[in-house]
Amino acid sequence: MKPRDVFSYSLSAIKLRKLRAGLTTLGVVIGIAAIVALLSISQGLQNTITAQLQKGFATDTIIVSSGGGGFGGGMLGGGNSGFKLLVNDTQTIDSLGNVSTSVAIIQKAGYVRLGEKVEAVTIVGVDISKYAGIYSNIFVAESGQIASNQENETIVVGKRVVDPWENGTMLANVNDAIDILWPNATARPSKNETLSGHITAVLEEIGGFGMGGPSDSAVYIPISQAQGFFGTDECDRIIVKLTSDDAVVVDSSSEAIKEAFNDEVSATSATAVLSILSSVFSTIELFLAGIAAISLLVAGIGIMNIMIVSLMERTREIGILKALGMKGRTVLLIFLCESVIIGLIGGVIGITSGWVLANVVAIIFSGGGGMGFRNQTAVSGSIAITPVLTPTVTMLALTFGIGVSVIFALYPAWRASKLKPVEALRYE
Amino acid sequence: MTVSVVETIHLRKTYMLGKVPVDALRGVNLKVEKGDFLAILGPSGSGKSTLLNMIGALDKPSDGKVLIEGVDVSTLNDDHLTDLRLRIGFVFQFFNLIPRFSARENVELSMSIAGMSKTERRKQAAGLLETVGLKERMNHRPAELSGGEQQRVAIARALANNPRFLLMDEPTGNIDSKTASEIMGLIRRLNEEKGVTIIMVTHDQRLARQAKRMVHMFDGVIAKEIVN
Repeated sequence: MKPRDVFSYSLSAIKLRKLRAGLTTLGVVIGIAAIVALLSISQGLQNTITAQLQKGFATDTIIVSSGGGGFGGGMLGGGNSGFKLLVNDTQTIDSLGNVSTSVAIIQKAGYVRLGEKVEAVTIVGVDISKYAGIYSNIFVAESGQIASNQENETIVVGKRVVDPWENGTMLANVNDAIDILWPNATARPSKNETLSGHITAVLEEIGGFGMGGPSDSAVYIPISQAQGFFGTDECDRIIVKLTSDDAVVVDSSSEAIKEAFNDEVSATSATAVLSILSSVFSTIELFLAGIAAISLLVAGIGIMNIMIVSLMERTREIGILKALGMKGRTVLLIFLCESVIIGLIGGVIGITSGWVLANVVAIIFSGGGGMGFRNQTAVSGSIAITPVLTPTVTMLALTFGIGVSVIFALYPAWRASKLKPVEALRYE
Repeated sequence: MTVSVVETIHLRKTYMLGKVPVDALRGVNLKVEKGDFLAILGPSGSGKSTLLNMIGALDKPSDGKVLIEGVDVSTLNDDHLTDLRLRIGFVFQFFNLIPRFSARENVELSMSIAGMSKTERRKQAAGLLETVGLKERMNHRPAELSGGEQQRVAIARALANNPRFLLMDEPTGNIDSKTASEIMGLIRRLNEEKGVTIIMVTHDQRLARQAKRMVHMFDGVIAKEIVN
C-alpha cells in the first residue's frame, strides 16, 4: 500500500468518529499548551529578570556584604558570626589590587513625606558622587544636579518616589521640601526619626529590581549624614568597582576581598548572580515542564484507551483488510498514522493556544499585577514579562506531542496487526 | 500436465474449542482446475467453511497440504500468505464492505492494498462495477445499497486484482431468492464468459446445481462428488 493511501485511509477512520477524535486531540492540546505556556512564560520571566539585573548590576562591580557563605548569605544579609561590615572598611578594600573605588551603603526601610503624601521608600546612605561614578549610566539626574561635593543637604530621589503613578503627575520637584522618616525601633520608646531638607535631584527612571544597584523607589542621602541619622557605623554592603570586568579579575578580587575580612563577608559579582539565577531557572523550567508532561501523559493514556476501543470496533474491518491481502505492518502503520495525525493536530493547536495563553497571562501580569509592586521597597517597577517561544521549545513540544501519541498507540496498533483474519472476520 | 489452481492433500484441521480438540477437517483431497466452478455443499459443522479458510490462505492446516498454483501454503510466512491473498477473491455471506466507503472506494481498496496508483484503480473500479451492473450506483455507500447490490460490489471487489480464483462463502445466503438468482446468474456469467475459476460454499442444493461440479461434505470429509 502506498504511504499516501495509508494516510488517507487513517484520515477516513478519524473522520468517521469526529467527536471522539476531537476529544482525544483535546487531551494532547491541553498537555502541549501547558508545556508551551509554562516554558515560554518562565523563559520570558528569566529574560526580564536577567535584563533588569544587568541594568542595575554593573558587570565590573562586586557587592560585599557581611556574612560569609556566598549568594544566600550575601543577599539575605544573614551572618551568624556577629561580624559587621563598617563604613570605613572601604579603606581596606581600596588598598587591594584591581580595585578602582568602593562605596559603603547604609540602607533602611523608611518613608518620605512630600506635602500631604507619605510613601514607603528605601533610605540609602551612600557617597553619592562616587556612587554616581560607579553607576554612571543609570544614576543620572533627570532634573537638578547630583552634587560632586558631599554637602549634608544633598537629597537625591528616585523617579518612582516623586512619580508613584508612573504617569507624570509629580508629587514634588527639585528644590521642593521633603521629610525623610525612619522608624527607629532600637530607641526606647521607639520613634520616628525625621530628616528634613530639599530635593537636590530627581533621577531618571532606572527600571529593574535595583538589586545592589540604584533603585527607582529609593532616597539617597550622603553617607556621613546617614551615619548620624541612623546612629550607626555599620553598613549593609560595600559596592566595589574594579578596574576591569574580566571574569578572572572579578573572581580573584572576590577572593581577595573575602580573604581580607577572614571570610566573614560575602562578595557577589553580577556574573555569579546571573549564573546562579540561570541555574535556578533551569530547575524551575524542568519542574514546570515535568508538571505539564503529566498532563501529556494523561493525554497519552487517553489515546491508548481510544485506540483500544477503536481496535475492538474495527476488528471485523481489520479482518476484511487482511483477507483482502493487507499486511500486518500496514495495519500497524494505519493505526500509528492515526495517532500521528492526532498528535500533529494536537501539537499544532496546543503550541498556538499555549502561546496565546502565555501572552494573555503576561498581559494580566504586567497590566494589573504591576500595581502591587509599586509601593514596595524591595521591588521597584512592574514586571513586564514578554513570553519567549524558542524554536527549540516549539520543536520539542511538537515532537513530544507526536511522540506520546505514537508511543501510546504502539500497543493497540501492534495488537491490531497481529489479529488473525479468520477470527477477526468472525468477530461481531 | 498443468498445475491445479487449488489442490488439497490429506488436509486436516483440528481446533481447540476451549480444551476440547475438534476435528474440523479429517483428510480432504480436492483438486480445482482453471476455469472450474465448484460448489461445496454440506450441513453446518461439516467443515466447509474451515476448508474455505484453508484454500483462502486465511488459516493454516494442522496436517496435510494446501497447494495454491503448486505452492504449499504451510511453508509460507504471514507476509507471503497475505501476498497470496491479494490474488484470491473473497466473497462473504455478509458482504463485508467498509461502511464509510462508497461502492467504488470499496472496490478501489483492494487495488490500493496491492499498491496500484489512484488513476489506474479509479478506471478499473469503474469498469468492474460496470461488469457487475452497478455503474449507476458506484458513488453510493453500502448503507444506501440493497443486499443484492452490496454483494455485487463485493464481487467487483473480489475481482479487483485479477484473482487466480474466487472464493465464495454462501454468497446468496443473506439475499432474497429473486435477487439471489440474479447474483447466481452473474457468477455463472463470470465463470462461463470470463473464465473465472470459482469455489463456492453453500448449503442450498438448487444453487449448487448451477455449478459445474459439486462436492458434499460431511463430518470433515468429502462424502461424495457430483459433476453436473
